[in-house]
Amino acid sequence: MKSCDEIRKCLGAWVDGELGRDEADAVRSHVEACPACSEERRQLDKLNVSIKSVLAPQRPIAFEPFWRGVERRINEKNSWRDEWMDRLRGAFGRPNLAWSIPAVIGLALVLYSLRFWKEPTPRNNFAAVESIDAYGRNVALLRENETRTTVIWLYQNQEGDDETSGETSEQSPTF
Amino acid sequence: MELSDWELVQKCQLGEMGAFQELVSRYHQKVYIVVLGLLRNRDDAMEVAQETFFRAYRKIKSFEGGSSFYTWLYRIAVNIAIDTQRRQKRNLLDYRDNMDEVFEEQQEVAKDPFSDVHEKELREKLLSAINDLTPEHKAVIVLRTLEGLSYKDIGDILGCSEGTVMSRLHYARKKLQEKLRAYL
Repeated sequence: MKSCDEIRKCLGAWVDGELGRDEADAVRSHVEACPACSEERRQLDKLNVSIKSVLAPQRPIAFEPFWRGVERRINEKNSWRDEWMDRLRGAFGRPNLAWSIPAVIGLALVLYSLRFWKEPTPRNNFAAVESIDAYGRNVALLRENETRTTVIWLYQNQEGDDETSGETSEQSPTF
Repeated sequence: MELSDWELVQKCQLGEMGAFQELVSRYHQKVYIVVLGLLRNRDDAMEVAQETFFRAYRKIKSFEGGSSFYTWLYRIAVNIAIDTQRRQKRNLLDYRDNMDEVFEEQQEVAKDPFSDVHEKELREKLLSAINDLTPEHKAVIVLRTLEGLSYKDIGDILGCSEGTVMSRLHYARKKLQEKLRAYL
């Protein structure tokens, strides 16, 4: 046996004919026996009639002017924004979901895996050998680990240079 | 023999404007009634109803017949009307204008079913109470009371379950009843 509160919760659905047969019978029996719920149903009926009377338009609209308005909109050239929105909707619309969903998942996986990507380590520890001036002096960078790099100055034998003289080694490099 | 909605839709998808015109003639009145019920302003309702058919025309190639054409059409109309209503509610001046037009429209009606003062008061209070509902609650009231749509169709249009439709209708009617208790 349902209480009045429970009956009133589905009173509207019963009036609308949306309840199953058993439930509708239960509501009908209760309303017939209960003056308070019967009054509630009367108010609901009057409310529905009043809403319909208030909201229904008093005059029908003519078709011809209405159609001209629709036709004018259709004939007006779509803005570039509308066109692009249509293309996007078409690309991601339901018929294309079959490929778009795996594509989006794949893209997300690729982007996520980039977080774990590291630059490949060189085969040896020599990061670079570069000439830093025009006198044949080179510098070799020996990368020992991620935080420590050793710089080795290399001197090339040149004709006329005295290997034993400390001339070149005494010159300070300019950066 | 009269073509079904689906047959007309298929012709539209092939580019036959005449078929689309036939669909508009079938549903323009119904769409207008629903939109007017939501917006309570004839000019706005006309604009939104025409925009509804324009958008339907643009999207008709994507309509696959999974739901009935009128459900699909109402979905477009209700969405545009709800957006319009939200914009108007942000602008209180427009909202007031709408209300004024509703009262003017009532005065224009030659045969007024609400003949005595009590009924006229009920009408005014009811309009005010309906306008105080949220767009979603107003939509279920309009679709059920004006169009007599089933809970399933209303759910399809609003993108919610039948249970949600039932719950929204119960809440909306309760709100209206509370405000109009003295007049019912």
